[in-house]
Formats: sequence, structure tokens, C-alpha cells
Amino acid sequence: MPSIISVLKPYKAFVAALVILAALVNGLSLIIPKLISIGIDDHGAGTLDLQTLLIQFLVVSFIIFILTYFQGLFQVYTSERVARDMRNTLARKISNLSFQQLEQEKSTKLLTYLTSDIDAIKMFVSMAVVTVVSSSVVVIGAAILLFVINWKLALAVLAILPIIGILFFVVFSRLGPLFKETQEIIDKLNLIISESVLGSALVRVFNSGQHEYKKFSIVNTLSKENGLKILKYFSIIVPSIGIIANLASLVILALGGYFVIGGNMTLGDFTAFQSYVFILIFPIIMLGFVSSMISQAQASYNRISELLNSPEEKEVGTIDTPILGDIEFKNVSLMYGEKPALEDASFSVKAGTKTAILGPTAAGKTQLLYLLIGLIKPTTGEILIDGKPLKDYSKKAIHSQIALVFQDSVMFNLSLMENIAFSRDAKQEDIQKAIETAELADFVDTLPNGLETIASERGTSLSGGQKQRIMLARALALNPQVLLLDDFTARVDSATEKKILANIEKNYPGITIVSVTQKVRSVKHFEKIILLMEGEILAQGTHDELADTSAEYAQILESQKSTHTYE
Amino acid sequence: MNNYYLNKEQDSEKTESLKEAFGKMVPILAEEKKGIITSITTVILNSGLTLVGPLLIGYVIDTFIQQGNMKGVLTFSGILLAVYAAAFIANYVQMRVMGAVAQRTLWRLRNDVFSKLMELPLAFFNQNKSGDLISRINNDTDKLNQFFSEGLMRFVGSLFIVLGSGIFILFINWKLALAALIPAAVTFAFTWIVSPTVKKRTRASLKATGTLTADAQESMTNFKVILAFNRRDYFAEKFAEVNEKNYKAAIHAGVGNEIFTPIFEWASNLGLLIVLGYGIFLISNGAIAIGVLVSFVMYVTRFYDPLREMARMWSTFQTALAAWDRVGEILHLKSNLEVIESSEKKEGKGVIAFEKVFFSYPDGDTVLKDANFIFEKGKTYALVGPTGGGKTTTASLIARLYDPTSGTVFLDGKDIRSYAPEVRSQKIGFILQEPFLFSGTVRENIVYGNSFYDGDKMRDLEKDLKDSGLSDLLVRFDEGLETKVGNYSSLSLGQRQLIAFIRAVLRKPEILILDEATANIDTVTEKLLEAVLEKLPKETARVIIAHRLNTIENADGIFFVNSGEVTEAGSMEHAVEMLLHHKRTS
Repeated sequence: MPSIISVLKPYKAFVAALVILAALVNGLSLIIPKLISIGIDDHGAGTLDLQTLLIQFLVVSFIIFILTYFQGLFQVYTSERVARDMRNTLARKISNLSFQQLEQEKSTKLLTYLTSDIDAIKMFVSMAVVTVVSSSVVVIGAAILLFVINWKLALAVLAILPIIGILFFVVFSRLGPLFKETQEIIDKLNLIISESVLGSALVRVFNSGQHEYKKFSIVNTLSKENGLKILKYFSIIVPSIGIIANLASLVILALGGYFVIGGNMTLGDFTAFQSYVFILIFPIIMLGFVSSMISQAQASYNRISELLNSPEEKEVGTIDTPILGDIEFKNVSLMYGEKPALEDASFSVKAGTKTAILGPTAAGKTQLLYLLIGLIKPTTGEILIDGKPLKDYSKKAIHSQIALVFQDSVMFNLSLMENIAFSRDAKQEDIQKAIETAELADFVDTLPNGLETIASERGTSLSGGQKQRIMLARALALNPQVLLLDDFTARVDSATEKKILANIEKNYPGITIVSVTQKVRSVKHFEKIILLMEGEILAQGTHDELADTSAEYAQILESQKSTHTYE
Repeated sequence: MNNYYLNKEQDSEKTESLKEAFGKMVPILAEEKKGIITSITTVILNSGLTLVGPLLIGYVIDTFIQQGNMKGVLTFSGILLAVYAAAFIANYVQMRVMGAVAQRTLWRLRNDVFSKLMELPLAFFNQNKSGDLISRINNDTDKLNQFFSEGLMRFVGSLFIVLGSGIFILFINWKLALAALIPAAVTFAFTWIVSPTVKKRTRASLKATGTLTADAQESMTNFKVILAFNRRDYFAEKFAEVNEKNYKAAIHAGVGNEIFTPIFEWASNLGLLIVLGYGIFLISNGAIAIGVLVSFVMYVTRFYDPLREMARMWSTFQTALAAWDRVGEILHLKSNLEVIESSEKKEGKGVIAFEKVFFSYPDGDTVLKDANFIFEKGKTYALVGPTGGGKTTTASLIARLYDPTSGTVFLDGKDIRSYAPEVRSQKIGFILQEPFLFSGTVRENIVYGNSFYDGDKMRDLEKDLKDSGLSDLLVRFDEGLETKVGNYSSLSLGQRQLIAFIRAVLRKPEILILDEATANIDTVTEKLLEAVLEKLPKETARVIIAHRLNTIENADGIFFVNSGEVTEAGSMEHAVEMLLHHKRTS
């Protein structure tokens, strides 16, 4: 795992500026006690020029003020910048993951990466970097001055540094795993909150708020316990550093006192020595605080790096010529672990024809459509478009010519217009045609803001059927060669369904349709019907052929017979 | 219907006094009195000991070192060692106790917010995004935690040292002390004036973080569409936009927050400057000894150092206040679905009755207009009509997800609002249009929220499933009851609908509402579901919303719902007639 320090690599200039500012501020701060000591000593010797001294003092303190503010601003600026850039890098990475990778990484976990983990890194950049730098400057500067004043005393005082080093080592080795756990607990909290919010209607119907609360509280308690474990270490480390620093000042008192009494040191030097040690103590205590911050940032950075280093889906296909719409599945199998979702499926669809896929729930119908647009890849076998392997086509070529209407409604927090024109390949004239084909025009007219109406997060103000028609319009806006429908008609009433199908035929002549459906009636006239069951193709042919030869098809027909007179 | 939207624009420039601000923190910490008292005691002890240090050192310089008494130096070094050891213990106890207080407070606060979320009605969730709520529960409460665990006691301790050393130097030499304290007074005034602005900016920054979280979550839930429409850039771009806003808000807040430390730093140095100039002047007059000036310099440093520390804590405090505002907004909300006094049971109202029911959403759309109907026990009703006609809303009112804008919904002859939620939810089963599953197994999902299967009763589950004809449906899952599911997993919509169906039927409700609950299930499997519905107890009323007419042909009553009107159809043919020839208004 890369060290957290590598986060700073692209920001060398910023870090350099921060270091210079911190060094200046702290260096200048060291002058103040010197000025006071000069004042006292010179006054004793009767050589004091008070006015010059006060002006020097005023100038130095004003410069310190300005530089401190700059340092603060720079700290905010740099850390927020690092956070922003890293969030963008993560977002780009996430958007380049494959569908399968995304299904594995829970979206709530990705959310923790983008928020809480980045925050830990931000804290590191804003607090830890400056503290470490300025503390080092102060420690080194004060150490030099101490040596100049009295090297023996200085050596005695600086003996505390290695002890502090050991303490830090302990912090890092013990706290690291605990901080990793902290982030994993946040993942879990995010999941529970997220599910209880997305499932809020269900929770209310079942009155299961108490149950959800218990689930949340258990994880929340884990979080508390983990926090207390971290606290246990932390509350030892910080006072320890405090007492070590205090011991240093004790050494000065005793040893320094001895030197002053022995006449080896002036009283002014002794006072300055005391002040410098006070200056030394504070940054050392701060180092104690930031040591845990660094350890926390490292834990978060490890998590993020793991994602950033995962393989990306590469664009390998190069064909981007227009397609006709001939589709062929050659012995395609799709495995989910041990179990097959599709087994040795072979069939072909001629351009410009209509094909229906029928079968029971969990037969693998949806997976078949996902394979067709390359969302998932077959484990074995090959899919051909116009006789050429699907994987040889560029993504753009596939996604702009083969459009899928998903089974469940997915709405973005955008206007209806932007939802429909979601693909960049959608052209203005095609959008209007798509809206009319999906029978949305009348509905849009009833909205005060028309197509500019914002679809809210979960599309709560739209009915199931309206959302499904918007999904259809989104697909048709591509003016696709191939239209894949996943149970499109499930949420649309039959009158509207009929109109829509007629519209498609009229407005998109020559389009190839592959439709997953439950209703035999609406696909009876299709050129081909494929019967899929538990991942296997049981039969394929026209309606009449299947009705005569396939017992399973006959059973489906039977189950829908009674309503034919009405529909 | 109430407005539950949380991210309203801040109403006016409301500022609050320091007293009010601290007052807000009191209720959060109310249950931690003991820990806080211990902490404050140890903090004061620690601060006292910290003050004693330089006092002793000053004394040693003045009396022993200047007189060359090494024995006295060593004796007092011993005393100082004891003081430091005591400070170490006090410091440890304080950190440990207060850290625990902060952890427990964070725990309690998160529990309280979550518990409040569970209390609030569905309308709240329609108006707020889950990402924003996550941000409030995790991020904002953590900001409070940071203040409690590190800020508060350091603040109190610093305050004590500041007061202590302030009083102390006044005693040593009040003239010199007053002069030294002038910069501090000016700085206090400055802090007073800028704090409200800083808090406002911090709040805006936290809000931006909430928006960022909400936006990222939405995009990630919708990823398959993003992939299928070749808009991988969409997520990165949209995210970059909110990310940039968040960045700007954070910088904006930072510019304000960062002013405190340098200002106090400057005040500290000016204090020293005054002491030096004025002190030397006083020495020349013979008003004070040089030792007094030396210790005065030290005490002024001791006065201003913690003040600088307080300045740092002040920004943490402003952040905590802003975060507390956001968390408090949720805690102050009240559910508008209160349980009212039980009324007389009215006869002739069947199991469910609507009487002059009107309903509109907060955005003003009237969804139901004067709906009147009665559903009887043991019968099957169908609600048909075009999409967007009001069918789901009608079902939601039966389940009391919302209350009517006017009119009454009766359950068993009594106003539905008079039932306790647990009683009502036991009576009413509602299979929602969008099936929702929790991460876990099929088993966990089908007994979800079903207290009957708590503990030992779980053993009967398989038998009960078999008896009610539900076990045949489980063959659709590779590993039966133990199949892993989750809302993000690759289960098909049909499979999810099956689980939702089993889950609802297992609860044995008196009224079972199916809102297009089987729309994506194949017709052969659907026959199995029909058989299950047939097997339900005789008294169970069924309300079916569907487009597929075969699922409603055996209904005892068919209601046509369109443009907010609920009309009973005389017969199946009549219903079909209305469906096919309805005027499209939605």
C-alpha cells in the first residue's frame, strides 16, 4: 500500500508554499522571546533603545499575523483542493468500472469512500502536514538556539525526542487497524440508513421502524465501542507527551539553575531557555494529536487505493460503422459463480424482425438483454452483430444503436427533457418523435412546466406507467437500430400499450425488436418467439409452430387464455 | 400535508447570542452530567497545576537561583515533579472520561436521529434525499463528536487558565495587567461580531456536503442506465459539478474560520509588546523589580497561549453549532400521522370505507376528488384505470401512508386514524409497486417485520410456507430460503416481486392490497399466486391493482380510477369498455 504522503505528490508547489509559510511563521515567532530577552538584558546593562525595540517587535508581530492568516488560508485551500481532486479521481474511476465490479462494490461503500474516507485524508492535509512541518521547524529552530545558548543543557532537553518517537510508533501500529474498522462501520451505517430510507414505504406499511432502529443501534454501538478502544490509546499518548515535555523543563530548571549559580550562564539566557522550551512543548503535544490523524488518513487511503488500483474496463472494440441489426448468439453461457444463468444459448435474429423472449421468472431473460448491450460478458460462447463479434464494436457504436428499456424505472434528478435526452447521441428531432411514440405528449401537456419539470430523486410524483414511458422515450431518442424491451408492457395499460406498439411500427420502420414479455397476445405476430427456462432455450419459432410443438408454450397460452376475449 | 423539506433557504440573518448557542448544547449533554462534572473538575485541576508550574519556576529563579541556593532549586524541582505527575493523571482522566462522554453522546445522537427518521411519515422521505440524510446522521453528528471529544474540554480548560492567569496578573500588578489585557478585549469584540457570519458559511458548507452525498448516491444507484446509454462521463461530470460547489463552500467557510487563530496570535504578541514597553517603564520608575517583569512575561504568555487555543476551538465550536442546526432540524420534526381518540364504531362501513375523500400532494396536484366506496370482508376488489389516475394513491390511503386532505377513511367502521400503528399494520397488507429488499437472505426478507417468527417459531416457517402454497414459489431461487439478496444484487424484478408477495401473505393481513404486485411475474407462476390468494382465510379482503385483466376477472367489484375519480363499474365488460375508451387525462 502506498504511503499517505504520496497523496501530496501532485501538490508539491502547494506543500512547498505551506512549508515556507509555516517555517517563516514559526521562525519569526522564535524572535519574540529573543527580543524580550534583549530588552531585559539591555535594560539591566543600561544600553536599551526602547523605541527601536518596540518598533521591531511591532513589525515582527504584524508580519506574523499576516503570515499566519495566509498559512491558515493555504491550509484550507490545499486540503480542500486535495479532497476535491481526489473525489474527482475516484468518481472517474467509479464511472470506468464494469457493471459486474459495480455490483460487487456496494454503492453505499463507494459513498463512504467519497465522503468519510476523503475527509480523513483532508484532515491529514490540512492539519497533519502543517503541524508536522511547523513542529519540526520549531523543534529544530529552538534546538539550534538552545545549542547556541548552552549545548550541554540543550543536549539534556533534546533527549526527550527519541522517547516521543517510540510513542508514535506504538500509536501507528495499534491505531491503524482500529481506524480501518471505523471506516468499515461507517460503510455499514450508510447501508442501513440508505436501505431504511429507500425502503421507507415498506417500513411504514409493516410498522417495522423499531426493527430498523435495532439494526441501526447494533452497528452504532459497534461504532461506539470501536471509538472507545481508540480513545484508550489516545488518552495515554497525549498526557504522556505532555509529561515528557514538562520533564524537559524540569531538567532546565535544575540543570540550568546549576549553571546560573555556577556562573556559566546569564539569567537572561536562562529565561530565554525557559521560553524556548515552552515554545518547544506545544508543537510536541500537537504532534501527539496529529499522529492519530495520520494513522486514520493512512487507513482511509489504503481503502481508496484498493479501489483506484482495481483493473479498469478497457475499450477494445474499434468498429463504429452503422449496424443493420442482425443478432446471433453462438453457444452463449453465463455463469454466476457455480450456477449458470444462461446455458449454451444459440439463436439468431434477423435485422428488421421482431423477436419475443418468454419464460418464467428467473429464467435468464434480463441477463440475455444485458449480454446484448455488453453490460455483462458471456462466460463462454460468442455474440455476433451483423456477423461480427460484439466485443469488436466500440462502446459508442453499440450504445448509440442498440437501446434497452430497463424493467425497473430509473429516473435522474434532472428535467424530463434531460432524462429523455440522456444519451449524448440523441438528436433534437429524434427526441420529439420519441416523446410522441411513447404517448407522453398528452401527459407532458398537463404539466405546468412541461418537459422542464424536474423528476424528483425517486420519481415519486410520477406513476409507474409514466416512468416506464419516459424510459421508453429515452431509448427511442437514440433512433436505435435495435430496440430491447425488458417487460416493457408490465406497467402500461393495454390501451396505451397498443397505441405505443402501433406508433413504433409507424415511426420506426425497419427497427429490430427483441422484447422480453409475459403477454403472448401482444407478440403473437412476431417473427420469432424464444422460450427460455432456467437458462436454457426450450424452443424457438413462430407462435403457430410453438403452439403445436411445445408443451411449455401451450401451458403459458393456457394461463392467459381466459382474458383474450377482453383484451 | 406538511412540508417536510429540510434544505429550505435560511430564513433571514438570524443570529444568536453566545448564551443561546451554548444553551443549545445543554440538552445534548444532559444525560452525561457525571462525566462532565468529572471532566470539568480534572480540567480545572489540570489547569491549576499548569499555572502552578511557571509560578514555581519564577519563584525558584527569584529566590534560589539568584541567591545561588542549589539545594532550594533541587527541592523545588522535586515539588515540580510531583505537580507534573499529578497533571499527567488529571490529563489522562479528563481525556478518557470526556472522550467516553463524546462517544456516548455521538451514539445517543445518532440513535435519536435514526429513531426520529423511523417515526416520520412517508411524506418526509418523498421530499428529502437519502444521501442528505446519511450526511446528517454520519457527517454532521461526527462534527459534534469532534467538538465534544477534543474541543469542549480544551475550551473549558483554556478558559480556566485564561481566567486564572488573568486574575493572577491583576493581583501582581493591576496596571501592567490591564495594559496587557487590552488586545484581548479588542479581540473578544471582534470574535463576537464575526462569529454569526462564520457559522452561516459553515452551515452552507455542510449543506453542500449533504448535496454532494445525495447526488453521488443517486448516480450510483442508477448506474446501469448510465452504462447502457454510454454516459460514463455523466457521473464523473455531474459529480465534478457538486464537488466544485462543495469545494467553493468549504473555502468560503475556511476564509472565515481561519481568521480567529491569527487574530488571537497577534493579540498575544501585542500583549507581550505592551508588557515589555510598559514594564521597562515601570522598572525605570522603580515601581517593580526585574523578576516581576520576567514572571509577568511568562504569565502573559500563559494567558494568551490558551486564548489562541480557544480561538482554534472556536472554529470547531462554530462547525459543531452549524452541524447541530442540521441535526436538530430532523429532531424537531413531528409526524403528521398522529393517532387520534377512538370514536364510535359505525355500522355498514365494511372493512374499508372512503367517505368524501380528497387528497392532494404538497405541490398542489389534486389526486383524489371526493372518493366514496366501501370494501366488504372476504371479497376481492379490483382498481383499474390509466397510469397516473390515482390507484396507488388510493391504496396508500388505505394503508395510511398519508392522511386524506379532507374526508375520512374507515377501517372496520372506525376512523383509520384512531388505530395504533402496530394494530393497523397487522390488519393491512400492502404489496408495493416497487418491491424493496434488504441486504440479507430470502429467509430474512420474507419474515421481515413479522414478529410471529421471532425466536423458536422460525422452525415452523417452512411448514407454514408449504401449507399456504408459498413454498412452490421458492424454487425460483437457487438456494431456496438461504439465497442471498440485496437491493443492489442481480435479482430480477419478478424475483423481487415474488419475495414481496410471500412476505405480505405470511403476515396474514385482513386486507391485502396488491399494487401491480405481480406485473413482472410470468403468467404460469402467477397462477400459483392466484392459488395462494384463494387459500387465504375467508374473511380476507383483497384489493388488486393491475393492468392485466386476467388477474381481475374474478373480482367481486371493479372500480375505475381516473383523474382522481373512483367509479364503480357494473361489470367486467363495463370496466373494459371504460378502460378502452377512457379519455386520456393523465
